[in-house]
Amino acid sequence: MKKVVVAGYARSPFTPAKKGELASVRPDEVAAQVVRALVARTGIPADDIEDLILGCACPEGEQGFNVSRLISLMAGLPRALGAMTVNRFCGSSMSAVHIAAGAIQMGAGDAFICAGVESMSRVPMMGFNPLPHPGFAAEMPAAYMGMGDTAENVAAKWEISRVEQEGFALRSHRRAAAAQAAGKFADEIVAITGKTGNVSADGCIRPETTLQSLAELKPAFNATGSVTAGTSSPLTDGAAAVLVCSEDYARRHNLDMLAAIRSIAVCGCDPEIMGIGPVGSSLKALSRAGLEAGQLDVVELNEAFASQSIACIRELGLDPARVNIDGGAIALGHPLGATGARIVGKAASLLKREGGTFALATQCIGGGQGIATVLEAV
Amino acid sequence: MADIKKVAVIGAGVMGAGIAAHVANAGVPVVLLDIVATDSPNRNAIAEGAVGRMLNADPAPFMGKAAARLVSAGNIEDHLGGLAACDWIVEAVVERLDIKQSLYAKIEAVRKPGSVVSSNTSTIPLATLVQGLPERFAQDFVITHFFNPPRYMRLLEVVGGAMTRPEALETVSRFADISLGKSVVRCKDRPGFIANRLGVYWLQAAVVEAVDAGLDIEDVDAIVGRPMGIPKTGVFGLLDLVGLDLMPHVNASLAAALPADDPFHALNRPLPLVQKMIADGHTGRKGKGGFYRVNRARNKARESIDLATGEYRATRKADVEAVTSMGHTLTRLLDHDSTFGTYAWRVLGQTLSYAGALVGDAADGIAAIDEAMRLGYNWKFGPFELIDQIGVDWLTAKLEATGLPVPAILKIAAGRPFYRVEDGRRQVLGLDGTYGDLVRPAGTVMLADIKLCRQPVLKNGSAALWDIGDGVACFEFTSKMNALDPDIMDLLITSIRRVNTDFKALVIYNEGSNFSVGANLGLAIFAANIAAWAEIETMVAAGQAAYKALKYAPFPVVGAPSGMALGGGCEILLHCDAVQAHAETYMGLVEVGVGLLPAWGGCKEMLTRWSSLGCLPKGPMPAIGKAFELISRATMAKSAAEAKEELFLRPGDGITMNRYRLLADAKAKALQLAVDYVAPEPPAPLALPGPSGKAALDMAVAGFQRQGKATVHDGVVSGAVAEVLTGGDTDLIATVDEDGLYQLERERFMRLVRHPGTLARVEHMLMTGKPLRN
Repeated sequence: MKKVVVAGYARSPFTPAKKGELASVRPDEVAAQVVRALVARTGIPADDIEDLILGCACPEGEQGFNVSRLISLMAGLPRALGAMTVNRFCGSSMSAVHIAAGAIQMGAGDAFICAGVESMSRVPMMGFNPLPHPGFAAEMPAAYMGMGDTAENVAAKWEISRVEQEGFALRSHRRAAAAQAAGKFADEIVAITGKTGNVSADGCIRPETTLQSLAELKPAFNATGSVTAGTSSPLTDGAAAVLVCSEDYARRHNLDMLAAIRSIAVCGCDPEIMGIGPVGSSLKALSRAGLEAGQLDVVELNEAFASQSIACIRELGLDPARVNIDGGAIALGHPLGATGARIVGKAASLLKREGGTFALATQCIGGGQGIATVLEAV
Repeated sequence: MADIKKVAVIGAGVMGAGIAAHVANAGVPVVLLDIVATDSPNRNAIAEGAVGRMLNADPAPFMGKAAARLVSAGNIEDHLGGLAACDWIVEAVVERLDIKQSLYAKIEAVRKPGSVVSSNTSTIPLATLVQGLPERFAQDFVITHFFNPPRYMRLLEVVGGAMTRPEALETVSRFADISLGKSVVRCKDRPGFIANRLGVYWLQAAVVEAVDAGLDIEDVDAIVGRPMGIPKTGVFGLLDLVGLDLMPHVNASLAAALPADDPFHALNRPLPLVQKMIADGHTGRKGKGGFYRVNRARNKARESIDLATGEYRATRKADVEAVTSMGHTLTRLLDHDSTFGTYAWRVLGQTLSYAGALVGDAADGIAAIDEAMRLGYNWKFGPFELIDQIGVDWLTAKLEATGLPVPAILKIAAGRPFYRVEDGRRQVLGLDGTYGDLVRPAGTVMLADIKLCRQPVLKNGSAALWDIGDGVACFEFTSKMNALDPDIMDLLITSIRRVNTDFKALVIYNEGSNFSVGANLGLAIFAANIAAWAEIETMVAAGQAAYKALKYAPFPVVGAPSGMALGGGCEILLHCDAVQAHAETYMGLVEVGVGLLPAWGGCKEMLTRWSSLGCLPKGPMPAIGKAFELISRATMAKSAAEAKEELFLRPGDGITMNRYRLLADAKAKALQLAVDYVAPEPPAPLALPGPSGKAALDMAVAGFQRQGKATVHDGVVSGAVAEVLTGGDTDLIATVDEDGLYQLERERFMRLVRHPGTLARVEHMLMTGKPLRN
């Protein structure tokens, strides 16, 4: 089988929805600039790209139509490319990577851009016209349950205290702030030209956060609960993209290979504890790779909420020191459709930067799913 | 006369910033300048900071989002040149002559010919301000004295000097009247002008006499408050509100400026208690509490200062026999044989005597003094209206008997009242001893004036229909608090028939402090208590029928609200062809507060408006979601501008800044619409999502409940609102028309009104005036 590699990663700055600098920029515009920059940075001949596969969790409004095709055209990619928009909620752009990997192994192309975008400022989280099935909603309310409520359920079921969640959130901010100060995001961030000028820095990180300031917040979803805005990922605007291609192709074109894709998996779980999704999917992917959690050098676990991150780390037996070493989504932000591409790209980059052998990128998905990608050094 | 198209305000303190915000409320761009910030890299930090603070202030200085965008903040070094584009430059800097005059010199160097410069000074005479300045400056200079907060206080005192061009005075007065909505009172160039001259005297008299008489502050406020038509804050509550630390400054500057024989000097003596309170930081609500305070250390206990000891003690309820037994007769209080009666007389007697002395000194006539006190100090009656209540002879005799000065105007009145109605015209006594008509500014019509000379066309116990001339009729609510009841609906139907035959157009308007706060809940709860459900449903249906008839009447209907227009009071406006709203109109569908939903077409109108005018994304839910949010959260727009943002008003509806001009503007709008008027077509039926949409709204409400933001009964009420707005059992491929929505409103209302949770809310509201969170 053909070996599939990640040979490039770029993302926009992630800024807070409504009040951040990207709030006023259309999502298709942000994603097109990221895709154009990725192509330029990797140096791949654009004519060789088979398809632009783009994840988006709420593909309507300005990120509606087949936004992937529009982004491809806006980015100036050749018209001969294909383009599709993928929706697996938060797992959308990781699914884009998986689709590309499968296609490459099928011999259905050598190079793919796998991207994701979400403007949580400009398209509301449930879309403009949420119309749940009334009978089914009554029968299984969990199927439509809000994410915050699932985070509370995980916190309760795994007995994760508010203080523990806040400690986790604080560490995420500290790590992200340190990485930002050390210029460790410089390689991945593409400055976005918006209406009001260039946007070049992440906007969600709060270096000034303390345990005390976190302790003062009110519960965000349940008056008697433990999950606050401080222990949840913020609503965020942003886009991310990775270049996925066959190892042969990458070598032929002298591309900078970050990591190879060793295995992939998705799995479902109870919707009311969707945050535990990474456990099942990661175990599946690790098993397919013939690996155990202890062998992982780098883990990118999407921090939808501190409670579910802690539960997954505990259940998978991960070493917290190796999880999200440049900070996670609580600090960086979580533009739903873009996160999967970010954490695959980030895990691949870290594997190279830190000099490890195996990496895992995994995330939970609303409605009760998990998705995972195991990477190995090239 | 020159128009004012751009304004500058210099001085971004509380008054300057507030004035700038209010100019912006009028839709006029305004430059707000202050000195360069020395402790910030941003040279505009002071003025920008003031604007920033106003965006979060409550009560809000801005009326809406658009207004805030009209203010540009800067500093007087970098942006002085911008004054050249301004037609009116308002100075509102610190009360120091040298600072003001050096600023005037800078302004004079850049301002354009014909522009007007005014000062917001409250203490420095105009003649002093312009001394030594060029003639051109003096010609274009006036004093415009605003009251705090500038958006809400309707009084503007205007002073012209000997050299002031009449057009300069007229330009600013006209702008203040029409665009800023102020009642402009011309004052003479005398210290404190009118309102503060008399108001400070009154406050000082009330405090000094209270200390001398050894009274408790609760009793004092009970005596000088309601009985005299003064806001219930009385004297000590008012001082807490404005700040005690201001007292010595204001008193000192007045004392310095007033002639030696002014009666103020006799009252202006240092009060050790007040001095100590200021030194201790007990300066009022902005400080650590004032005469009254809430003691957090003692479980938020309300405490009052004891005037004798200067120590705080538990606040007690005032119980003054002199007040409780006076009925509606003020003289009975003033004659009461007790310390309290003596106190009441000492304060009011001196105040009215002083007010009399101000005629011819601070103002040309008595009407200006009454208007200044009504609008500058929120007195229900001006001093001369109070004198008319107690009688000129009675007052004269009592003043003589108690050795207080009898002002000349009382002798001129010689027993006659200050105001009278002659041939349907309001008249006022002048200094020459003759009565003259009270002339309102051009373009002003008041229903109160019309009522003096006409009989209503139609009338019952709760409403009246008036002929306001030129073929326009005016429908007036006359019920208690303008609450809506079956009589109003009856007269509305009768009026529609009458207007159709005898008039061209109808205006719905009244001169109560609130347009209407909604339906008469007492009637509803009475009917519910005897299980008269059919009667309640009839009331709902009658309201729907009346409002619908109004909407499709063959003549134009213009609603003209001021103050609160809530619940049914909001719904009647939603059914008018157009609304001309006073800027200070507070609209909202707040029925959920009493466990009900808007059933006189409120849900239907808001849904239709947001569906057609909302500029929202496609699909049924955005409009439903917006209407649901407004109704289920009982959102009240806090200005006419905000009401437009929420579509309680439509884009074409008009806003009148000056309360006195509202009826005239509404009438003009009605006459304009009457030309070739065609009644509206019913709106296109709506494709609504039915139970799918309701499921989405239910989920949102359940989330709010878990967050503790919605109660159990909120869930019940919101559920009913959601059913109406999503079209009940409909399906996306079907449509629901206007009558279908009326029916849904009625059915779901009837379901709610029988619910014990709703009945508990209604009863609680009637008992306490506050919503029950059950």
